[in-house]
Amino acid sequence: MSEEEKERREVGAGLMEYSPENLVPFGPVHPSLKEPEYFKLILEGEKIVEVHPRIGYVHRGIERAAQDRTWVKNIYLFERICGICSFAHSLAYTEGTESLTEFQIPVRAKYLRVLIAELERIHSHLLWLGLVGYWTGFDTLFMWIWKDREHVLDLLEAITGNRVHKSFSTLGGVRKDLTPALVSKLEEETKFITERVKYYETLVHSEETLVSRTRGVGRLTKEIAERLCPVGPLLRCSGIDRDVRKEDPYAAYEFIQPEVKTSNAGDIESLLSIRLAEVTDSCRMISEALDRLPEGPVRVPFPRIIPRGDAFFHVEAPRGELFYFIRSNGTPKPERVKIRTPTLANLLTAAEMLKGRPLADVPVVLTGIDPCFGCMDRVTVIDVDKSKKWSVSGEELRVYGIEYYRRGAGKR
Amino acid sequence: MQLLQLLVFPGLTFFVWIAFAFEWLERKTAARMQGRVGPMIAGPFGLLQPVADFLKLASKEQIIPKHSEKFVLTWGPPLYFAAPAIGIIFIPVIGNESIIGHPLDLLFVLFVLAFSTLMASLLGYSAAGRYSTIAVGRLVVQYTSYEIPLILSVISPAILAGNLSLGGIVSAQSNYWFILSAPIGFAVFIIASLAELEKPPFDIPSAKTEIVGGWMTDFSGNALAYVKLTKNLSYVFLSALAVTLFLGGPNGPVLFHQIILQYVMNTIYFMVKLFSVGFLIFVVKTALARIRIDQAAELFWTILTPLSLAQLGLVILLR
Repeated sequence: MSEEEKERREVGAGLMEYSPENLVPFGPVHPSLKEPEYFKLILEGEKIVEVHPRIGYVHRGIERAAQDRTWVKNIYLFERICGICSFAHSLAYTEGTESLTEFQIPVRAKYLRVLIAELERIHSHLLWLGLVGYWTGFDTLFMWIWKDREHVLDLLEAITGNRVHKSFSTLGGVRKDLTPALVSKLEEETKFITERVKYYETLVHSEETLVSRTRGVGRLTKEIAERLCPVGPLLRCSGIDRDVRKEDPYAAYEFIQPEVKTSNAGDIESLLSIRLAEVTDSCRMISEALDRLPEGPVRVPFPRIIPRGDAFFHVEAPRGELFYFIRSNGTPKPERVKIRTPTLANLLTAAEMLKGRPLADVPVVLTGIDPCFGCMDRVTVIDVDKSKKWSVSGEELRVYGIEYYRRGAGKR
Repeated sequence: MQLLQLLVFPGLTFFVWIAFAFEWLERKTAARMQGRVGPMIAGPFGLLQPVADFLKLASKEQIIPKHSEKFVLTWGPPLYFAAPAIGIIFIPVIGNESIIGHPLDLLFVLFVLAFSTLMASLLGYSAAGRYSTIAVGRLVVQYTSYEIPLILSVISPAILAGNLSLGGIVSAQSNYWFILSAPIGFAVFIIASLAELEKPPFDIPSAKTEIVGGWMTDFSGNALAYVKLTKNLSYVFLSALAVTLFLGGPNGPVLFHQIILQYVMNTIYFMVKLFSVGFLIFVVKTALARIRIDQAAELFWTILTPLSLAQLGLVILLR
C-alpha cells in the first residue's frame, strides 16, 4: 500500500464512522445562508462533532478575468467580488496599483477614501448585526437595524452615486467631490447613527433571550486564534490587538487613527460589542475626517500603463484583512492579481468554534464571522477521494478541462 | 339546529374565520412593531391576505417525498386539523354553556392539546427528512417541558370553580375573573401557550435559520395549507381557552333582558377578550429572540413548574 493510499484510507475511515443519519447538510441552499456554501455537519443528537466546509459554489473566475481587462476596467470588476465591502476591494486594488507608480495622490482624495471606507464599515457592521437578530429568531431587531442602515446607504448614494457598487475610488484619486450640503448631511447622519448604536449597545447586553443565545457561545481562545489565524473582528474578540489601519496605515489613516477594541471573551456577545464599538468609532473618524478635510483637487491624471513590478497591499475591510497581490509586466493589463479575502481566513476558525456546540448555535456562530462566500471562492480543487488540495490557475484548468473531455471521461 | 351551531356559529366556520383574522392581526402587529406596514393589498387593510395565501397554497401541487410514509402524510393533516377544530367546540361563546357541554370536558380539551402535539410529531417523522427528524426531537423535548406547567396552571381555575367543565368554570366567574386569584397561573398558561404554538421565544421546533421549516419542511401544497391553518386555529383555541379559564369567558355586564340581544353582547365580550389575549401573545412573540432547546427545558422545569405549583398551593389555600 502506497503512502498516499494509506493516507486516503485514514481520511476515509474518519468519515465512514458516521452513519448518514448523523449527517445534517447545512447548505448549499439554506435559509440562514445568503450565498451558497455547503457545510457537512456530523451530529450526535443535537451536539456537533465534526464540521466539513466545502467551498466553491460561487466561483466566478474573477482573478482570471482580471488578466483580460485593462487596469481601469479592473476596478469595476474587483468591486463586484463583494456587494457589501465593494469599496474595500476597489480601495485595495487602486492603492496597490498606485504604489507601483511614483504618482502622488491628492491628500483630499485620501481623506475621501477614508470617509467612504468608514461609511462602508458602518453599513456592513449594521447589516451583520441585523442578521444576528434574524439568526437568533429576533426579527424585530433585524427590521430595526436594517431600517437604520438605510440611512447610511442613502448617504453613500448621495456621495458616490450608487448604493452598492460605489465605483468611487479610481486610479489617481476619487471620482467625485463632497459638496457643503453633503458635509452637513454627513454630520447629521453620523450623529443619528451614534445615537442608535448607543441604544443597541444597551439592548444586546440586556435583552435576556438574545444574551442567552450569544454569551459564551462559540468561544474562541487566544490559542486557537493563534493557530488558525483569523482576521478582523474575530481575531480582536480573542484578545489579539491587530488592525491593518493602525499597523500599516493606508489612505489617510496615518492622520485619522482608529481606536482598536479588543475583548478576551471570544464569544458572539463580544463580537457584537466589538462591532458596535467599531461603528461608533467609524462615526467619530468620519466627523474627524470632515473637520480636517484639506482643500485641493480630488484626482490627478494617471497613466494607462503601469511600470513593471510586484505590489502587495492589504486593507482592513469590515470583515478583516483583505489582501491583494498585483503583478504588472509593463502592459495595459495586469499579469496576475491574487486576492485573499477575510472570509477564507476566518472559515476554519468558525468550523473550530462550532465543535461541541448544539445545532441551534450553527447559524449564529457560522455567520458570526460575517462570511461572504462570494468573495471567498478561489480556484481551489478539493478532491475528497485523494484527500489532496491544490490550486490551479485558469490556464491550467482550461488545459485540464480539454484533457478531461478528450479522454472521454466527461461522457459518462 | 345543533349541527348548524357546530358547523357555522359558534362552531367551526366562525372559528376558522377568526383564525384568519388572528393571522392578519399577528402579521400586522409584528409589522408595525418592526417599522413595516404589513399586508395591505388584499381586501381592506389587507384583511383578506391570509385567506388569499391559504387558497393559493391549497391550490398548489403537493409533493410527497419518496421515502416518506405516504399514508400518514396524506391522512395526517386532516386529523391534525381535527384536533383544535374539535377542541374549540367546547369553548362557551354565546353563554355559559358550549354547544356540546360535558361535566368533564376540561379533561378532553387537555387531551386534544396533547393529541395535537402527537399528530405534529407523527407528521414530522412520517416525512422522514433530516430536518424534520431533528425538529420532532426538539418538539418532544419541548412538549415534555411545557406540558406539566400548562396542566398545573389549568388546574387552578378548575379548583377555584370546583368544576371540571368549561361551562361550569365560566359560570363560576360571573362575579369575578379567576385571573385575579390566579395571576401566576395565567402568566404560566400564556408562556406555555407560546411553547405549544411554537412561537418565539419557543419556536425551536420550527426555527427556520437552523432546521429550515422544522417538522413542516417536507410538506407542500394542500397539506401545508391545512397545517398552517391548523396552527392558526390552535392559536385561537389556546387564546379562547385562556379567556375561558381566566378571563370569565363571555361574561360581562348584563345590558339587555332579551336573551338574543344578550347573546350578541356576550359574543362581543368574548371576541374582545379573545383578541386582547391574542394581541398579548403577538406582542410578546415579536419582542423576543429564540432560545435554545436546553434553555427552554431549563426554564420550564426550574422556573415555571415551581411557579405553577406555588399558584396551585395558593389557590387551595384561598378556597
